[in-house]
This record gives sequence, structure tokens and C-alpha cells, in this order.
Amino acid sequence: MDTLFFLPSWPPHVGSLTMAALVLLAALVAGEIVQRVFKLPRLIGWVIAGAFYGPSATGLLDAEALHDLQFIMHVAAGLVLFEFGQRIDLGWLRRNPWLAGTSVLEATLAFVAVFLILLLLRVSPPVAAFAAAIAMATSPATVMTLARDLRASGQVTQRVELLTALDCAYAFITIGVLLAWFHAEYHGDWVVMAAHPLYLIFGSSMLAILAATIARPLLMRLDAYGDVQRVCAFALVLVAVALGEWLNLSSALVLLGFGASLRALDDRRRFVSLDFGPLGQIFLVLLFALSAAALDLSIALAGAITGIALVAARYAGKYVGVVLTSRVSGLSTRKGSLVALGLMPMSAVALVFVHETVTVFPELARGLLSVLVPALVVLEMAGPLLARFAFVRAGESAALA
Amino acid sequence: MSALESGDPLRFSESRALTLGVELELQLFNTRDCDLTPVASDLIDLIERQPHAGDVKPEITQSMLEISTGIHDRHDALLAELQSVRNTVVAAADRLNVLVSGGGAHPFQHWSERRIFDKPRFHQVSALYGYLAKQFTVFGQHIHVGCANGDDALYLLHAMSRYVPHFIALAASSPYLQGVDTAFDSSRYNAILAFPLSGRAPFVLRWDEFRTYFERLRALGVVESIKDLYWDIRPKPEFGTIEIRVCDTPLRVETAAALAIYAQALARRILAERPPVTEDVYLPYGYNRFHACRFGLDGELIDPMTRTRRPIAEDIGATLDTLGADPLAPESEPAFAVLRRMIGGAGNDAYWMRSTYQIGRSLPDLVFRQAERWRGRG
Repeated sequence: MDTLFFLPSWPPHVGSLTMAALVLLAALVAGEIVQRVFKLPRLIGWVIAGAFYGPSATGLLDAEALHDLQFIMHVAAGLVLFEFGQRIDLGWLRRNPWLAGTSVLEATLAFVAVFLILLLLRVSPPVAAFAAAIAMATSPATVMTLARDLRASGQVTQRVELLTALDCAYAFITIGVLLAWFHAEYHGDWVVMAAHPLYLIFGSSMLAILAATIARPLLMRLDAYGDVQRVCAFALVLVAVALGEWLNLSSALVLLGFGASLRALDDRRRFVSLDFGPLGQIFLVLLFALSAAALDLSIALAGAITGIALVAARYAGKYVGVVLTSRVSGLSTRKGSLVALGLMPMSAVALVFVHETVTVFPELARGLLSVLVPALVVLEMAGPLLARFAFVRAGESAALA
Repeated sequence: MSALESGDPLRFSESRALTLGVELELQLFNTRDCDLTPVASDLIDLIERQPHAGDVKPEITQSMLEISTGIHDRHDALLAELQSVRNTVVAAADRLNVLVSGGGAHPFQHWSERRIFDKPRFHQVSALYGYLAKQFTVFGQHIHVGCANGDDALYLLHAMSRYVPHFIALAASSPYLQGVDTAFDSSRYNAILAFPLSGRAPFVLRWDEFRTYFERLRALGVVESIKDLYWDIRPKPEFGTIEIRVCDTPLRVETAAALAIYAQALARRILAERPPVTEDVYLPYGYNRFHACRFGLDGELIDPMTRTRRPIAEDIGATLDTLGADPLAPESEPAFAVLRRMIGGAGNDAYWMRSTYQIGRSLPDLVFRQAERWRGRG
């Protein structure tokens, strides 16, 4: 044998990066097929390809490999949230305070509706509360990907984007509060309960503003060199993700805030077209595919009824909240109902952040997954379709006009 | 200007001479990247919830809004109405997070991305003109001047054509198009010239002759209605006016009102003095018009009657001096003062845009500042 040392070994050793590349290829091909043949949004193909690779399907990508690739998901989620934050104009809330009312009402109603329906289905209260908190959020990755692919622009798109950002912030804060409460239940420490969410909110905002303050002059000087500026922003996002994790802050809030602050500081509108280009696309595809791969599909089947109930309750809460306040916030009720549809996307990306924080309590994590995964499977498919329907029906898609 | 009374669309409605009406086509863009955004119907929906001055209408694309005034004869009332409707639009736009501005064209919008407003006529236009319809996402000011009868309207139309370069140069506000400096002060005008029925009206001076001309065009199937004629100045029999259509939408309502008053004062003098008009007025027409679009107030103007040439700004100054004898001159003086400042060094809006671009060196930033200027700031 040794004499043939130059021949390749068998079976081949496939490193995790090679696996990521294979997933990427499969996802890209699936995305194109889904878009060209079935006229569905590409990201549905990315998700299907990812799920196909996952442990609960072919298992080409096992739990260990997924664990190794976690960092890619973190970076990718950071990039998405940063870019998404940049699209958000918080000044709008000042010019139209009713929108803040819409977001609070819609998120609260979604929380309450999901919480109650889960209690009714005999889910334990802590699990129901965490699931309801996560259900408040809409997937920024999905909304942004659709809006960009459709080149959508207009009231429905803008409102969905703003509400999505706010909902994410509410969800992350609520999860922080719930965690603190959970800690207190176990350890009876009420100081921790009060301090933790405050640390999360203030720490994350401070880090976000700091990052934006440092990034602004740097990016300004690289203005004329598109690619250098892009790579520099990419590196800054990586550093912010790492800092957020080290400081035990919510990386999601940090990156969302980083993007939004950079935009707020951009008084000469020099970064309006700052995106990560093909680099961002690579991470985006991997984010959808890998997070879908991690879904345990056997749970999905078992909890189908809970999942559908959760989705319905979430939609009802958001629909009532948005539609009740749409006229006072200056939009027709018809378009308000389209906004509610646009808020439907929820993706397994939500689990990327939540999973780690919650795994401290294995029982809670298991319960949470059994409730959320079925809902996520439904919404990974239905969410993009509903949101796309909303943008197109509102006449805001340039790509399909 | 009375509305259409009989069923005959070519009957020239009588209207009180020298009354004015102004229409402005405005750009609507999002605050994210300052690109045009299809929000006209939402904006109109919101504005129409409450009574307001002026009139607000959709235009060919969803990212365009048309505002228009009622009928006026005095500068102060015209300006007050324009300011009032501007404030209404801006307040509603703020609630929808939309920016509004004047300007003849969007500086970096790419024509392939525009959405055509959902109305049958606009879809017809779009189907007929293809890419031109979308390139036609340009924004103009239209000035209606009331005429006692059709013959007066045609005479005034041809006599006014000598002053067309004045209006182009003073209103020019489209130096940037599709992301580049076009070197023109008004690039919008070139987009309009691509249409088959653009240019000038045929040289006929009597309304019945015009009717015959129009009927022949219609019999050939070239046009269906007066709306199909994109002339620099066209008669609008339905209103009893002539409509001057060469102006880019200025960046401020003050300029828009001043231009309208200038048109009125010129018309008043022309109708009072009745200088003879021959087709010779059109000999240097294309040349003058090109100069006004390309060089703005610094362009050159050839007078077909006196056969002299001088800078447009100088020609405007000399014209304004002769309007001083106008009986309404004191009332119109604030409007003339606006124009004098422009020719006296402040420049037109194209000049303002080029200098403002230097501040942020980004076109989205320029668009944002245009919106600030439209609000009455900056």
C-alpha cells in the first residue's frame, strides 16, 4: 500500500469548509431551479437544499459539522442584521409616532396570542413565553432578501422593514427579560433579573453606537474605492460580532444597532449603497441553508398541530395590531393588511441566536424546539410567499412590474 | 377659464385674458437611498382625507405627483396657494417617510426601474412609446395663460416663442441624469424632444385654421386629442389657455410663481402692443433652445427680428426692464426680483445643484438637499 502513497485516501476526508462549499453549490442550484422552474423566491430553494443536507434528511451534514460551521452562521447573521439596520430610518417614528404604536401593539398582540394558544395546547408556561417572544420577530434576512430581489420600494415594503427591525429588537429584549426571570426562578436572585435586561439593552446600544462612530470616518475615507470600503465594513462587522459575544451582549441587537447608527450618522448620505455584494450573497445563502439544515424535521411532523396553531395565532395578533392602526398611521386598511402579510416570514435564523442562550436550560431548549420547529418549517416556505405576494400586490416590485 | 361646456373638445372656451394657472410635476423618493419610490397613490390618499388648497393628481408614474393651482391673476395669491399646497404635500410625505422635491429629472434613477401608474391611459402611453415612456420620467412646470379667444391664443403662442429660451434657462434644474453630469442645464428637455409630436406648433394664426390642421392630423390617425401634442407651447381649448411646457420644475415654489408671473407680464405686453409675428420667429428657434438647455443663463440668444445676439441673462434683464411700465408692475415686482437675483449672479437651479453636489459629493445627498430646498429650507 505504502508504495502507492501518492494515490488519494478512501473514503475521502471532507473538511467542514468543503462541506460548506458543497452546501453553497447545492443551495445556489436549488435556488435557481426554484426561481426559474417554479417561479418561487430563490431563498426557498436555499432552505430546501440546506434541509436536504441536514442530519434529519440525508445526514451529509452531521451535527458535528454543523457545530463547526456555527461561526459562519454567526458572521452571516451579523452581516444581514447590519445591512438591515442600515435600511431603517428611526426618524420616521418621530415624524409618524403612530408607527411606534403599531409596532408595540402588533408585537404585543402576537406575543399574547401565541402565549395563550400554547397554554391552551398544554405547553408549559416558560416554554410558551419563550416561543411567544421569538414569534414576535419577523425574519430580517427573509424580508431583506425578498425586498432586494424584487427591488421593492414603497409604503408596504418600508413599513414591513421598519416593523421587522423593531420586532426583532422587542423579541431580543423580551428574551433577555425572560432569561433573567428564569435565572431568578432558579437562583432566586432578583438583582440579576433587573440588571440583565438593562445590561443587554444599554450595553448593546453603547457598543453599536461606538462601532458606528469608529466606522464612519474610516468608511468615509474609503468612499471612492467601493470594494475596499465593502471589505472594510465586512471586517468591522466581524469585530462587532466578536465583541458582542465576548461581552455577553445580544450580537443581534449590536449589529442591528450598528447599522442603524451608521445610517443615522451618515449626514451626507455616503453609505446609502453600502452592501456586501457577492461576499454578502455567499453568507446569506449559507445562512438560510445551514440554519435549515439544523432543523430537526422529525419534531416538525410530531408537532404539526402546535406549529400551525402558533402560526395562526401569530398572524392574528400581527394582523389585528397592524390593521387597527393603519389608517391613523396614514395608510389605507387594504395596504395595512398587506403589511401584516409582509410580517409573516420567520426563519430558522431566529434559532441561531436563541439556541445558545437557551441551551443553558436543556429542558427548556427541548420544549422550545418542539414548539418552534414545526412553525418554522411552515413559515420557511409560506413566509416568503406571503411577503412576496404583499410586495407585488402593493405594486412595489420593480422586478415584476 | 371655464370648463368644457359643449361636447366639442376643439371649441376654444373663453377665459378671462391673462389669468394664470400653474401645474408642477414633483418627484417622490424614499429616505433610504433617495431613489424614486412608487408612493403617489398612498400620498394622494392621505392628502385627500382633508380639505386643502390646490389640486393633487397622479401622473404617468407612481413616483410622480402633480400639484396645480386654481386660477389667479396676482402674484401674492398665486404664491400663497403654491406655498399652501406645498406644505400640505410635505406634511403628508413626512408621515409616509417620503421626500418630495422639484427638479426636471431624477439625478440617478435608471429608466428601466420605473413603475407606470395603474391607469388605462398611462398603460396605453407606455405600450406605445416603450422605453421613451419610462425615460419620460421627467418633471416639468406648466404655465397656463388665459386667452379671450382662439385667435388671440395662437397669436400669443407664436409671439411668446421668442421668449421660450428665457423660460428654459430660468427653470433649468436637470443637470444630472442617470448618475452623470450631462453638461446640460436642462437635460429633461432632450427627453421630451424624442417624442414624435414634440417641438413647436405649426405657424397658423387663426383658430379655424388650427382646427382644420388638427382635424387632418386626427384623420390621419396621428393624434386623438390635444393631449397627444407635446409642443413647447400648446393651446388648451378646454381651459381657454395657452400652456407653456418648456420649464423644468423649479426647486422652489417661489421660482415657479415668479416664472408664471413673468409669462403673464410678457403676455400682457405682447397683447397690448401687438408686435407683428411672422414665421421668421422660428428661424433661430432650435438654436436658441439648444443654447438655453445646454448653457442655461450663459447661453446665447439670437433675436430673429433685430438679428442681434446676446447672452440669455442679458436678454432677460433687458426684457424685465421693459416690463417695468406694466400697470401691474408693482404687484409683480417681488416676482421680477426673484428673476433679477437669478440673472444677477445667484444663477438658476442647475447652478445651485452643481454647487450643492460639491458639499456631499454624492447624488443621493444632492437629492436630499433638493427636498430640503423644496420645503423652503436651504
